[in-house]
Amino acid sequence: MTDVQTPDTQAAAQGEPAQGEPAQGEPAQGEPAERDAARQQLAPDAGWGRWAWRQLTSMRTALILLFLLALGAIPGSILPQQGADPASVTQYFASHPALAPWLNRLGLFNVFASPWFAAIYLLLFISLVGCVVPRTFRLVGSARTPPPRAPRNLARLPQSSSYASALEPAAAVEHAAGILGKQRFRLRRPDAGGTDYWVSAEKGYLREAGNLLFHLSLLGVLLSIAAGGLFGYKADKLLVEGGSFSDTVSALDEIHPGRLVSDSDFAPFSLTLNKFTANYIESGESIGQPSNFDASVTYTASPGGQAKTYNIRINDPLSVDGAKVYLIGHGYAPEFKVTGANGQVTYSESTPFIPENTSTFESDGVVKAPDSSLGFEGVFVPTAITVAGTLESIFPSADNPEVSLNGYYGNLGMNSGQPQSVYQLDTSDMTEISGSPHLLQPGQTWTLPNGKGSVTFVGVKQWASLAVTYDPGQVPALVCGMLALAGLLVSFFVRRRRVFVRAVPAASGTGSIVTVGGLTRSDASGGFEEEFAELAAEISEAETSPAQSSTQSSTRPSDPDAQP
Amino acid sequence: MFKAKRRTVVTVTAVVAVLLAGALAATLLTQGKGNASDDFVTNQAGQRPLAPDITAKSLTGAAISLSSYRGKTLVLNFWGSWCAPCRAEAPTLAYLSKEHGSKGVAFLGDDVEDTPQNGLAFERSFGITYPSFNDPGYLVAQEFYKVAPVNDTPTTIVIDKTGHIVGEVLGEVSFGEMTTLLQDAAVIQ
Repeated sequence: MTDVQTPDTQAAAQGEPAQGEPAQGEPAQGEPAERDAARQQLAPDAGWGRWAWRQLTSMRTALILLFLLALGAIPGSILPQQGADPASVTQYFASHPALAPWLNRLGLFNVFASPWFAAIYLLLFISLVGCVVPRTFRLVGSARTPPPRAPRNLARLPQSSSYASALEPAAAVEHAAGILGKQRFRLRRPDAGGTDYWVSAEKGYLREAGNLLFHLSLLGVLLSIAAGGLFGYKADKLLVEGGSFSDTVSALDEIHPGRLVSDSDFAPFSLTLNKFTANYIESGESIGQPSNFDASVTYTASPGGQAKTYNIRINDPLSVDGAKVYLIGHGYAPEFKVTGANGQVTYSESTPFIPENTSTFESDGVVKAPDSSLGFEGVFVPTAITVAGTLESIFPSADNPEVSLNGYYGNLGMNSGQPQSVYQLDTSDMTEISGSPHLLQPGQTWTLPNGKGSVTFVGVKQWASLAVTYDPGQVPALVCGMLALAGLLVSFFVRRRRVFVRAVPAASGTGSIVTVGGLTRSDASGGFEEEFAELAAEISEAETSPAQSSTQSSTRPSDPDAQP
Repeated sequence: MFKAKRRTVVTVTAVVAVLLAGALAATLLTQGKGNASDDFVTNQAGQRPLAPDITAKSLTGAAISLSSYRGKTLVLNFWGSWCAPCRAEAPTLAYLSKEHGSKGVAFLGDDVEDTPQNGLAFERSFGITYPSFNDPGYLVAQEFYKVAPVNDTPTTIVIDKTGHIVGEVLGEVSFGEMTTLLQDAAVIQ
C-alpha cells in the first residue's frame, strides 16, 4: 500500500518543506492526525467503505484494471466474435464442439459485451473518476498557492551555492528576485518588517496541468466509448450479388443497438451489391491467399435520393449518413431452382453457403423449399477435384464449381412459426431421398425419384458480408486520446522546481552573503542541475561588482531530509 | 471547515461515480434487445399518421399503388416465404381476406428478401389470392420507417379508408389482434 499514492496520501507525501498552504489547510504532519479524527467520527462500516474507496481510487488499482482490460481484450482478438464475425463463431462451434460451449459460457465469443468485461470497465471508470475529481480541486488550490517559505538552511537542499555580495541583504535578495521574476518564476517574500531576507520562487505548474489533462482525457476516452455504446449501433448484413437492403431493423441480419438507440434512429439509406470481386494468388508459396477484395455497391442516402456508386474494400469503408459500411466477409451463393411434384417452381434463389475452409472455400449450406416439402443439405466446392471418390476443393476461386446435395422429403417444420436458422435444415420429420449425395455441375438437374420433383444447380454468385456501424463516440475518443498523450508528455517533460534565495549580512559589516538553494520534486527528464547552475551564476554574475563575488557551488546527492 | 469541504467533495464524487456506473452497467448488461417481437400498436382516432404513397411492382410484375386502395380499409402484411412465423400466420390472413373481402377490407402483401418464384409458391401453398409487392431490398418497408416502423418480419399494418395508419402488429398476428385493429378502423362491429 505504501508504494501507492492515493489522492490523500499523495497530498501528505508532497508536504512542503515549510508550512503555509492555505488551500490544503493542513501542514504535512497534520494529515494523519486529521485522518484518524475523521475515521473516529465515522461508524466502523463507513471506515471500511472509506478504505475500500481509497483502495479503488488508488493508482495501483487503476493500473491493475487497465492491465486487466488489455488482458480481457486478448480473447476478443484471438477468438472469433459474435458481433464482428458470427459466421466464424458458428464455424468454431462446429470444429470445437467440446470447448466452444464453455468458452461461450465465459462470454469469450462476445467479450466486449460480457458482464466481466463491463465490470472491469466500470471499476476502471469509477477508479479514474475517484482519482481525478479530487485532483482537479487540489490542482486549482495548488495553482493559487504561493511558493512555500524559504527553508532556514539552504545549503542542505540538493542544489545550493553561495556568493558574497557587495549589496546589503535586502537589496541582494531584491536583485535575485528580479532575475527570477524575469524568468517567470512565481515569487514569495517574507512579511514586511522582519529581519529575515529571502525570496522563494517556484516554476513548472504546467506539470500538474499536464497530469490533469491526461487523467481528464482518459475519462473523456471512456465517456466517448460509453457514448458510442449508448447512442451507436452495429449491424451485419449478408448480401448476394444483385441483392439490396435498406438500413432498417427488419432488413438487417443481426443488430447490436446501444441502449438509447431507437428503431427510427437507423440511417435511412439503402444499398445494392452490384458485384463482388476476390482475387487470389495463383502460384508460389502463398497460393490461394487472397490478394484483393472489392465490393462494388450502389447506394442512396435516403429514400428517393440520388443513387451513387462506391467500391468498398478492406479498410476502405463506405461512409453514408453518419454510418460506416465495412466489408467483413465473403463467400459463394450457388443458385438453385427446385420444382415440386406438380412441376411448378417452388424455389429459385441464390443461396448463401458458409465457407468451412477459408483457404479452399469449401462451403456448407441448405436449400429449403417448404412449398414442395423438399430440403437439401449441400456442400459447394469452387474448384473441384475428386480425390479417391470424395469431392475436394483445391483453389478458392470458382474455376470448376460443383455441389454435392443430400435431398430430404417431408415436413421442414417451418409452418409451426418457430423461427429457424437459414443455414440449418431440421430433418427430424423428413426422410432422405435415395441417390444422396448427388453431384451437380452448373446447369445440371437432379430429377428426384418417385416423381417428387427436381433440383437444378443453375450457377454461382458471390456474397459479401457487410457491417454497418454508427459510433458517435469515435471522433471524441480520438481527440481525447491525443489530448491524453499531450498531457502525458507535458507531465513528463515539465519539472516542478523551486529556487530559494537567502541573504545575511557579511561578517565584514558591508555587503552580504547570499545563498541560493534549489530542489525539484521529480526530475524524470533530468537537467535541473544545469538549470540551477546557470540560474545561480546569472544571479551572482549580474551583481554590480562581479570582481568581488566568489561563487562556490555544491551539488549534493539526493538528501532524504531535504527531499519533500 | 476545509475538512468538511473535502469530505463533501469525496461524497459527491462517490455518488456521481456510482450513478454513472449504474447507468453504464444498465447499458452494457441490457443492450442487444432491439428486436422486439409480438408488439401491438394502435393509434387513437385523430392521431393516425398518414401512410406514405408507394407504387411498386407486384410478384407477377404488375404496378400497384397504395393510393388506389383509398376508400377501403387496407391490411398490409410484410412477409417472406423463408420466414417461419409468416408461414404460421398465413392461414389466418388467408381466412380473414376471404371473410372480410366483401366488407370493404382489402389485403395486400409485401414479400421481403425473397424471389418472386418463392413468393408465388408460398401464395399457392396457403391459398392466398391477394397480390403482394416484390420487395427483396425492403424498400417498401423502409418507406414506413417514420410512421409505422417495420421492425419485424412479419409485420402487419392496418390503414383506414382515408389512408391513415390505424395500428400495426409486429410479429405473428392473432385473430384477436386483427379483430381489434379492424374494429378500430370501424369496419366490423
